Amino acid sequence: MTGTLNLKLDINGESRDVAVEPRVTLLDALREHLGLTGTKKGCDQGQCGACTVHIDGQRVLACLTLAAQAEGRAITTIEGLADPNGALHPVQSAFLEHDAFQCGYCTPGQIMSAVACIREGHTKSDNEIREYMSGNLCRCGAYSHIVAAVREAAEATS
Amino acid sequence: MTFIASKTKHGDASDGNLGGRLSRLDGPVKITGSATYAIEHQIDGLVYAVTLQSTIAAGTVLSVDTKAAEASPGVLLVLTPDNIMHLKSATTWAGTPGPEGPFLALPKTVSFNGQHIAAVVAETLEQATAAAALVKVTYEEKGHVFGLEDPKAGEGVPIERATMSWGDAEAALAAAPVRIEQEYKTPREYNVAIEPHGIIAQWDGDKLTLWEPSQWVDGMARSYAEWFDIPFENVRMISPYIGGGFGSKALSLPHGAVAAIAARMLGKPVKLAVTRPQTFTAYGGRPATRQTLALGATKEGKLLSIVQHGVNETSMLGMAVEPLGSVTAIMYAVPNFSSRQNIIPLNTVTPGALRAPGENPSAFGIESAIDELAYEIGMDPLEIRLLNYAEEDPHAKIPWSTRRLREAFAEGAEAFGWSKRSPAPRSMRDGNQLIGWGVAAGTYPVRRTPGEALVRILADGTAEVASSSIDMGQGTYTILAQTAAEVLGIPVEQIRVKLGDSALPRSPVAGGSQLANLMTGAVHKAAHAAREELIGLALNHPNSPFLDLQLNTLAISDGTISASRGERSAISIADFMQHIAQEKIETLRDTLPEEKQNDQDRYNNFTTMMAMKPPTEGGYSLHSWCAHFVEVRVDEDFGTVRVSRMVSALDSGRLYNPKLAESQWRGGIIMGIGQALLEEGIIDPRHARVINNNLGDYLVATNSDIPDLQVISVGIPDHHASVLGGKAVGELPIVGVAPAIANAVFHATGKRIRDLPITLDKLL
Repeated sequence: MTGTLNLKLDINGESRDVAVEPRVTLLDALREHLGLTGTKKGCDQGQCGACTVHIDGQRVLACLTLAAQAEGRAITTIEGLADPNGALHPVQSAFLEHDAFQCGYCTPGQIMSAVACIREGHTKSDNEIREYMSGNLCRCGAYSHIVAAVREAAEATS
Repeated sequence: MTFIASKTKHGDASDGNLGGRLSRLDGPVKITGSATYAIEHQIDGLVYAVTLQSTIAAGTVLSVDTKAAEASPGVLLVLTPDNIMHLKSATTWAGTPGPEGPFLALPKTVSFNGQHIAAVVAETLEQATAAAALVKVTYEEKGHVFGLEDPKAGEGVPIERATMSWGDAEAALAAAPVRIEQEYKTPREYNVAIEPHGIIAQWDGDKLTLWEPSQWVDGMARSYAEWFDIPFENVRMISPYIGGGFGSKALSLPHGAVAAIAARMLGKPVKLAVTRPQTFTAYGGRPATRQTLALGATKEGKLLSIVQHGVNETSMLGMAVEPLGSVTAIMYAVPNFSSRQNIIPLNTVTPGALRAPGENPSAFGIESAIDELAYEIGMDPLEIRLLNYAEEDPHAKIPWSTRRLREAFAEGAEAFGWSKRSPAPRSMRDGNQLIGWGVAAGTYPVRRTPGEALVRILADGTAEVASSSIDMGQGTYTILAQTAAEVLGIPVEQIRVKLGDSALPRSPVAGGSQLANLMTGAVHKAAHAAREELIGLALNHPNSPFLDLQLNTLAISDGTISASRGERSAISIADFMQHIAQEKIETLRDTLPEEKQNDQDRYNNFTTMMAMKPPTEGGYSLHSWCAHFVEVRVDEDFGTVRVSRMVSALDSGRLYNPKLAESQWRGGIIMGIGQALLEEGIIDPRHARVINNNLGDYLVATNSDIPDLQVISVGIPDHHASVLGGKAVGELPIVGVAPAIANAVFHATGKRIRDLPITLDKLL
């Protein structure tokens, strides 16, 4: 594998230049090349959800996406979720209030999934929230609090 | 002598004092992605290491062909058993000498499938990963033992310290009017922290800096110091946030040594991230266990005898004991008791600690067996537990400090509606779903090791707390700030807590559910000393506005110093510090006893587990307790089990922050639900390989597996257990969950499942 791609990635509303090999995933581009370590690597196999980001508003696993595939599309990571003036996104506030995390490592992925889950309209019941949040594993076991946080944030944003 | 009446609002306040439901202080950085975990630290000139693991279970590495890998783009170094630096053997966590050296991080002799045997270092992660695939290893393979079911496994080695007995258990069992005897099994289980293990190692001369997730920076730093034969002070381990550990991040591991060796050889900082599949053999989780339990009782259900024989697997390299008698020996009043345990070496990575090692499988045995006895004699499963309630520690024969298990049963049963239970199996259903209700108890000991903390009041009136203890989600940052706030009278938001750095004052391991109690104790002591010093200055300093009052005490609250009876207007700590031109007040305190204040005892206290006191030392038996009530729904046609409702009542003593303690409780219960229904390491007998070594095949509970969970605190402050009244929190809640579910499944289906996990094939 040789050659370097000079990519222009639109991340959190900013255009970022990154020179990477074609085989570099979006996850590794963010974490190892751009210093955006808020997006987590939990399995690198698309099984845990810790690397969830948004591409054009849809939730996507950054470990199963090549950086090159994301060029020309709007990427949002956990670092870009709060208001530029620092005001937390309602989902972030709800996670804090409901203690919807412990170690915090799956949390950025949970929050990115939760924002999308609400946007998708999959919050009509606790069971629906559970189902649509099940792609994000939490080994500390914050699930009950995640459901409460997503429910509250969904109500606040509806 | 000064005396301060500090305000005490315990239990429901969120004002920042100890006992309040404060949101976690490390929350904002975690929800915004700005908490920097170990291998996320930005280090200039970083290169990447990837390890290769053995594909045989036993034998010898004959040769490693590194030519193609070395010629691959970006490759800087290929490490093999032939060129790996030989390290010194390090002292074990128990403080005993390590195995005879040298320590080989990449050994020639393979003793389990998935053992690190080579490593590639390259400019980028992709280059290292690609080059690692080009390394060719030739082995001489030997016969292996794949698991406890392997006919070659044998009887194993008896463990003397696991042997317990009183009365004449065999004779009492033989004479008992009612006898049951069954075997209970738990499989190999894995920690599966969502942050995989990893490390950045960097040398500066003979000083080594390590960014590594750690439940014990001082203990792990000691291993590196001994491996590389450098002074302990030369190793700095930095671990401000840990993405879950559950027992797996307390000890230094071979991959860490590989990274440090590579960094030394290359003169560059090296990052090594263990891949998710590699985590299944880079360190051990809970070993597979088997236990035979025989219970003898009267026809009325009174226990006469318990006879237990357990085994757990271990590796060919180390003696890991998962103590299967730990709950059996203390849960019920029984006049005759015998428990013994063997460990069976086989070709696996050495098992490690996973949430409540010992208590967890121990409770699965005894809490299933007592349920079987209840059905055998036709008694309510809750009633039989109360009938055999242990009023004192039946093993140590000393009083409990506090044992609120009766209250846990009562409050849990009430909230669950246990009295409405229909006793017969298969007697409750909802359409095609068989409904079962089950109960089980759990316990976890209070472990105690001295700690150390620094408290610093600054000129601006804020304060700092510093300790090398860690926060992997238990809430250390928050409860230490609350402790300091309460003692100092400074608002909690003006207190900064620094943790997870071996350059800070020392702490023992964050394990055995001991950290909260020991570190709140140390911070409490240091903060008291700081407050005394501040008041002393306010009473005696020539520039103090309180000097002429001739008082013998002052009050501090909300960051303000005042004369107790209002003799002089109050002054903020910041203003006061300006008055007396003081930069800071700094107090460093530890909770070591006088006779252990020498350098060697201090070193051993913080870098080994030698000083950890057993729960029965001091005249009382110290334990946390819990009772779990479970409703399951089992599909009659498909055998699928869903936990539909759960109520748990827990006695962890005083809770320093109920909001965060409840999170740990729910987390432990959730891990227990996964353990009961999903988790199982599957070993291919042909190669002794873990074949489900990923998160799609080794199943842990997902959000949709978890119903509403009610947790109830029934604890009261226990000052025998700890200075501030807390008992064990983190490991307690998982204990008893699996048997409660198994008992509910029996009630639903009439089928008794004695080997975890309870999967549908066992119910059809």
